Amino acid sequence: MSTAVAPAERLVPGRMFPDLELPDHTGRRRRLSEIAGDDPVALFTSRGWWCPKDQRFLRGLVALQDEFEVAYSKLVVISVDPPEVQAAFRSGLGARFLFLSDAERTWLGQLGLRETTDTVHHPYRPAAFTLSPDLRIHRTYNGYWFWGRPTAEELRRDMREISMRIRPDWALV
Amino acid sequence: MSRGSSRLVWDGERLATALGAPGRRFRADPRCFIGEPIVGAWAHVCALAEESARLPFDEPEVQQVRRDALAWWIPLLGDELVCLTTLAVDSVHYGGAITVARDPAFFKEDPFARLFPGTFARTDIFCSVTPPAGPTIERVSGTAWPGGEWHNQ
Repeated sequence: MSTAVAPAERLVPGRMFPDLELPDHTGRRRRLSEIAGDDPVALFTSRGWWCPKDQRFLRGLVALQDEFEVAYSKLVVISVDPPEVQAAFRSGLGARFLFLSDAERTWLGQLGLRETTDTVHHPYRPAAFTLSPDLRIHRTYNGYWFWGRPTAEELRRDMREISMRIRPDWALV
Repeated sequence: MSRGSSRLVWDGERLATALGAPGRRFRADPRCFIGEPIVGAWAHVCALAEESARLPFDEPEVQQVRRDALAWWIPLLGDELVCLTTLAVDSVHYGGAITVARDPAFFKEDPFARLFPGTFARTDIFCSVTPPAGPTIERVSGTAWPGGEWHNQ
């Protein structure tokens, strides 16, 4: 019997998220570790621009970006939409964070996050990962059901917990 | 200049990095000078040579222009973008910004020109730098945005 671990089963707290490289919404190739730099990351996989649940969820992230922009933390969204579609969607949302395009489905299978209910477009299953700067997974969320997605409060909590651990001058005294 | 220095001098017409070059001194994102320079690039220098032309980085209009850079200025420039840096006068004050591109066609749209007027300049001193991922607009220890990084434990 094989003891190989299925890709999605590797995406658990304590494990490292793959240092994937994909084009962003401008077509420029980006590596996840370079995006993270020295900051915590909230990473989301999304079905795509057309999904009403994802539209609603991403509007919530746009509301939260005003906090991320002053908190030295990153927001990243991965979908199978081509960069030009992501650019239009991002602009319509008013987002100032990064979208990564896996239009070629390069990482979809490797991550084990293929959406099972859409057998035509093969998008990502909605999921969320909070990551330390070294891409260690802090917490995961299965967003297949909308209520499984992280709330703003849960994202704040995760960013706080990671920041507390990585910022050497966190303590007041 | 030493590689990775942040020193930049602007006299209203020309950009220089040499020690002792005449003009107003700024600190730029040091990553803009680390790599192989792009010869014949265009710089849109939204800064004045007068020392009094400065604003606190934390003023709302200086925050907003960084948001605009992330939201649409960088996507608009696309592959033409070489690098982008704000210009720090000191740890508190913003003296302007420079966008460097292979083609100046979009410079008339530059959001940084809202704060200080832009001047076109040919330049051979900037290298290509991956633009900021966003959404961070805050600086790191007084480094000119988007440069700088924290050193975690």
